Amino acid sequence: MTEIQSIATPAGSVSAELVDFVVHEARLADENRYAEWESLWADDGIYWVPTGDQKDPQTQVSFVFDNRHRIGSRIAQLRSGRRHSQTPPSKMRRQLSNFEVLSDDGGEVELAANFSLFEHRYTTTIWAGRYLYRLRYTADGLSLVKKTVLLINNESAIRTIAFIL
Amino acid sequence: MTMRLEQDRLAADAIDYEKLIQRDRVHGSLYTDADIFQKEMRDIYESQWVFVAHESEIPEPGDYVRRRIGEQPLIVACGKDLKVRVMLNRCTHRGNMLCQSDAGNATLFRCSFHGWTFSNDGRLQGVSFRGGYEQSLGELRSELGLAEAAQVGTYGGFIFANLSGDAGDLEHYLGNAKDAIDRLVRMSPAGGIDLSAGWMKHDNNANWKVVNEVQVDGYHPLFVHESLYKAIKPAKVDYSSDELRVAVRDLGGGHSEVDYTAEYQAQDREFIWFSSIPRSRVPDYIEAMEALHGPERTHDILVDGPPHTFIWPNLFLAEMQVMFIEPLSVEQTIQYTAPIKLLGAEEMSARIIRQTEGAMGPAGFLIADDAEMGERNQVGLHAQEPEWVLFGRGFESEKVEPRGITSYDRTSETSQRGMWQHYRTLMTETTND
Ligand code: FES
Ligand SMILES: [Fe+2]
Repeated sequence: MTEIQSIATPAGSVSAELVDFVVHEARLADENRYAEWESLWADDGIYWVPTGDQKDPQTQVSFVFDNRHRIGSRIAQLRSGRRHSQTPPSKMRRQLSNFEVLSDDGGEVELAANFSLFEHRYTTTIWAGRYLYRLRYTADGLSLVKKTVLLINNESAIRTIAFIL
Repeated sequence: MTMRLEQDRLAADAIDYEKLIQRDRVHGSLYTDADIFQKEMRDIYESQWVFVAHESEIPEPGDYVRRRIGEQPLIVACGKDLKVRVMLNRCTHRGNMLCQSDAGNATLFRCSFHGWTFSNDGRLQGVSFRGGYEQSLGELRSELGLAEAAQVGTYGGFIFANLSGDAGDLEHYLGNAKDAIDRLVRMSPAGGIDLSAGWMKHDNNANWKVVNEVQVDGYHPLFVHESLYKAIKPAKVDYSSDELRVAVRDLGGGHSEVDYTAEYQAQDREFIWFSSIPRSRVPDYIEAMEALHGPERTHDILVDGPPHTFIWPNLFLAEMQVMFIEPLSVEQTIQYTAPIKLLGAEEMSARIIRQTEGAMGPAGFLIADDAEMGERNQVGLHAQEPEWVLFGRGFESEKVEPRGITSYDRTSETSQRGMWQHYRTLMTETTND
C-alpha cells in the first residue's frame, strides 16, 4: 500500500478543530444521519475501503471506492427506505483514538486515527482498524476530501458493510 | 486424491433424497441439516469437478493461491513446468497446514512444525534430521509428496479440479455451460480475461445453495433491488414488464443461466449490460474490438454482452464479474467476487473495477441486499412448518430447446429446478453405491 505507507510518519500536532471534526463525522455515521454526513464531503471527495493486499485502487478492486457522485448514490439508496441490508439500520458506536497529523500544508491536512466500531444488527459485530482522513480548510470550516478505512480484517471474508464505515 | 475409509458411511446416506427433492419443491431441512452438509461436501464438492482458481491468478512459475474444495484446504500452484497443480495443504509428516498465505510466489513450501520442505510441484524435498527413519530419504521422498487432486483441467483460463478421479471429462462436465465461458472470453479483444484485480470476500450466514439460488433468480430484482432502481438509476431492463424477453434456462448438469440476449437484440443497443455507456467512453476498446472482429461483429458482441451463467456447483459468471463460493458450514458460505479485466482493453477494465465495487461485494448496491435476502432465508428455513420450499413457478412456460429447458418467463424458477434435479442425482447415486 504505497500511498498509505508514504504518509505514515507523524508531522504535526493535532488541533482541537481536527479532532472535533472527525468525532462529529463519526457521530453522524454512528447515528445514520445520512444527509448531514453527506454534507461534510468536498466535491472531489473519495471514500475508500481497500481490500487486503491492495496496492492501487486503479488496477485492483476495493470493497468501496466511491467518488463524490457515488457517495451521493450510496446515501440516496440508504435513504430510500428499501435498502434491505440496512433495514433495520445498524446501531453503532465507534471510538477514535491515537490521533496523528501526518501532513499539513496549510490548505489540507492528513490525519490518522485508530478506531473500534461496535455494530449491532441481529448480532454485534466488532470492526477495527485505522482511519486516514484528508481534510481541507475552507472559509466555512473543514471539509472531508478523503476517508480511507483500513480494516484489520480486510484480507479475509467480511460481513456486509452497507452502513457507513 | 485417494480413498475414503470403507466404513466412512454418513448418517445422511440413509436419507431418501427422492422424497425430499420433488419436481416443484424441496424440503427445508436440506438447507439446515449439518449431516446433509457433510454428505454434500463428500458427494458433490469432493467427488465432482469444482472451480478453484483462474490461470491469471497464478501466471508465473511459483505463483500460488490458497483455496478449498469442500472441507479440503488446497494450494493451487503453477510449477516450474507451468503446469497447474491442485494439492492438499497438509504436510505429509504430521498434518500441519503447509502454506498460510492466501497467495504468493514460492519455489518451496517449508513446514513450520518440523521444517520439512516441499517443492511447489508437491514433491518432498527435505526431511530435517533425516537419520530418524528406517527408510532412505529417497524412499521417503517417493512416498511422501503432497496429495494432489486426481484431475485438474482448464477451460478459457478457468481451473477446475476433481479430488476423486471419477468425475469424467471436464468438457463433458461443462456441457452446455462451456459456451458461456467462450461468450465471456470473446468480450476481450485479446481473447482472454484476467482476474488479477483481486477478490472481494464476503461472509454470508447462509447455506451455499441459498447463495446460488439468489444468483440465478430472475424473480427477485424488482423487490430486492428496488432501492437501487428507485434511488439511483433505473434497472438495465424493465423487470416489471411482461414483455421482457429474458430466457431462464436449465442447461443441464446443474448449470443454468438467465439470458438477456433476446431483449438486448430486440433493442439493438450496445452496452445495455454495462450501464448503457456510449461508445465514446471506451474508444480504445471499440477500436481494438473492431480491429479484431470488424464493425458488424463488434456491434453484435457489444449488444449481446457477457453471460449470466451459473456453473455447478460453485462458479457464477456474473456478466463483468466472476463469483464463486466456498461453503464453510451448513450455515456459512464465503462468496468471492472479482472484476474481470479484459485483456487488450485497459480503459474498459478500469471501468469494470469501478462497476464491480458499485454493484457487488459486501458494500455493493446490489449484493449487500442479495446477501441480506440469503441470510433472512436461512433464518426462515429453520421454521419447520411449512416443510417445503416452493420452486414451482413457470412450469407451463418451459420448452425443451437444444441449449436446455427454457422458460421465457423471467420469473420462472427453471434455474433452481435445474440445480435441484442435478443435486438429487448426485446425492442419490452415491447413497446407493
Ligand atoms: S508436521 Fe510438517 S514437518 Fe512435521
Ligand atoms: Fe440480486
